[in-house]
Amino acid sequence: MKPWQMSLSIIILTALMMSSAVFSKGYVGIFVFSLIINGTMAVSYDIPGRSLGLISLGHAVFFGLGAYCFGIAYSNGFSFFPALILSVMLSVVGALMVTFLMAGLNHGYYSLATLGILIIFQRLFETLESLTGGSAGLYIPETLSKLHCNLLAAFLLLATAACHALFFRSRWGLYSKETEASEEAAEAIGIPTRTVKILCLMTAAIPACMAGMLHLARTSHVSPVSGFSLTLSITALLASRVVPVKGLLGPLLGALLITAAEEVIWTKFEGFNHAWFGLILLVAALYQGIDFRRKKTISAAVENPLSR
Amino acid sequence: MIQVLISGLFLGSVYALLAVGLSLAFGIMGVLNLAHGSLAVLAAILYKKTLVLYPFSPWTFCLLATPIFLGFGFLLHLIIVAPFRNLSLSAGLVASLIASLGLALILEDLLVCWQGWEPISTNIIFPTYNLMGLKIPGLRAILLGMAAVTIGLSTFFLKKTDPGRSMRALAQDKEAASLYGINPGFTSMGALGLATILAGLAGIFYSSLYPLGPREGIDLTLKALFIVVAGGMGNLRGPAVAGLVLGFIESFAGVLFTYTSTDTVVYSLLVVYLVLKRSGSRQ
Repeated sequence: MKPWQMSLSIIILTALMMSSAVFSKGYVGIFVFSLIINGTMAVSYDIPGRSLGLISLGHAVFFGLGAYCFGIAYSNGFSFFPALILSVMLSVVGALMVTFLMAGLNHGYYSLATLGILIIFQRLFETLESLTGGSAGLYIPETLSKLHCNLLAAFLLLATAACHALFFRSRWGLYSKETEASEEAAEAIGIPTRTVKILCLMTAAIPACMAGMLHLARTSHVSPVSGFSLTLSITALLASRVVPVKGLLGPLLGALLITAAEEVIWTKFEGFNHAWFGLILLVAALYQGIDFRRKKTISAAVENPLSR
Repeated sequence: MIQVLISGLFLGSVYALLAVGLSLAFGIMGVLNLAHGSLAVLAAILYKKTLVLYPFSPWTFCLLATPIFLGFGFLLHLIIVAPFRNLSLSAGLVASLIASLGLALILEDLLVCWQGWEPISTNIIFPTYNLMGLKIPGLRAILLGMAAVTIGLSTFFLKKTDPGRSMRALAQDKEAASLYGINPGFTSMGALGLATILAGLAGIFYSSLYPLGPREGIDLTLKALFIVVAGGMGNLRGPAVAGLVLGFIESFAGVLFTYTSTDTVVYSLLVVYLVLKRSGSRQ
């Protein structure tokens, strides 16, 4: 990442931290909170998205899993922090199971399976009515003040951003890039590709789980449709890919852009919010904004070396 | 028990029809079209709206709607295939997947706007036949026959006609097919047109048997994808058989569990099968 990109990323993160402390109530407070949650989802999505080139359509699975684990623990008598710790542990186990299943898949198959997983969880949590409240969802009383929720969410975004930056600088980041380029070649030189994939997917899953917990703590409600939401998965996908800038800056700017667009869509085009998301996806895919990094790899790969 | 099997056979035949179209698109163009189910829903709504004006039978409407859906297929080709033709297979697959998901979301909202939230059911009254103590609904039996004929005709088209052979050649080797004078753009457009016709027919048949919600397009696509993955991507016989199997699974699960549990069972099977199949192919 170039110095100006790093500086701009730090400025955005600092501004979000300060805004979360200053604006915690009313419409602006909700907007700042949404911005931070979308930012966390986008930055965490970008880790496997960029390093392994995987397009997930079910990133919200982890969000919903975290929210439900927290909600169930809290409604069973645990206070905030024990419920948070317990739900982190439960979500990690759940996320590990999901990532273990997904780690063997590539490209289109991975996208398809993640979409399938999202619907499985949606239906499963609708069915387990006694535990999850069925399709009406789970309601919990206010656990923390809005200010604390905003501050915790801002710290989560900061921690996710640090994980993002550290992952790409670590040997695991290099391993994952090698795995994306050629899995067979990576295995041949001794890279444990499956471990790399699981580690990469888990690094993305845990912040998403925690974002779900904090979202429930602030809004007091989660349902299978809002927790395991396809719209949320698409928001994360778009936010992480729509701005063609590498590094941390891309998903951060993407989250700002998409959250603002989301607000306009929700308020001005009621009933057409899916259609607008669809339109953005379509336009992004047509202009290869979704996979612009891959485009470069491919154009380099298809170039005939003899013609140089 | 036998009644459940018969019900599964009817449902499976509609799924098979839906999946054959999807498999055709994947086999020839390497496209996983997530808007396939939404096109089926569009066909069902078109049929319902037409029924208000003219009381067509499903088979008459199928004949009339074929050129319309061929046109939709051509349009779809311009959106989800043509822009990605220069990408590699895996990048093209992901790009078309995202573009078709975008299209499916747009279609869903437009369909809700047009039709409202209520599920579509054409509800045609037809006599029920009694065959050796088994109740066989006439409409379902006719639709089962029509689904079998459609799949048979599609197979005949692909194997015995020149355009069909061109499509198969394109699926095997695009460059070699071009050297033999096959126009890849035109041929793949025809293939997507055929796939869209099959989606449309499946939508009309499905809504003649069961209520179909305007937002069920992506669900239908995922089920069709499960069938395609299970039956083998790119061929027609495998998805047809897998479609019947899914119909049986869903009918049995419907007896044993609730509606939402049935979907959980079906989608769990999809993911497990996908994971096992990929692990197997890697080994």
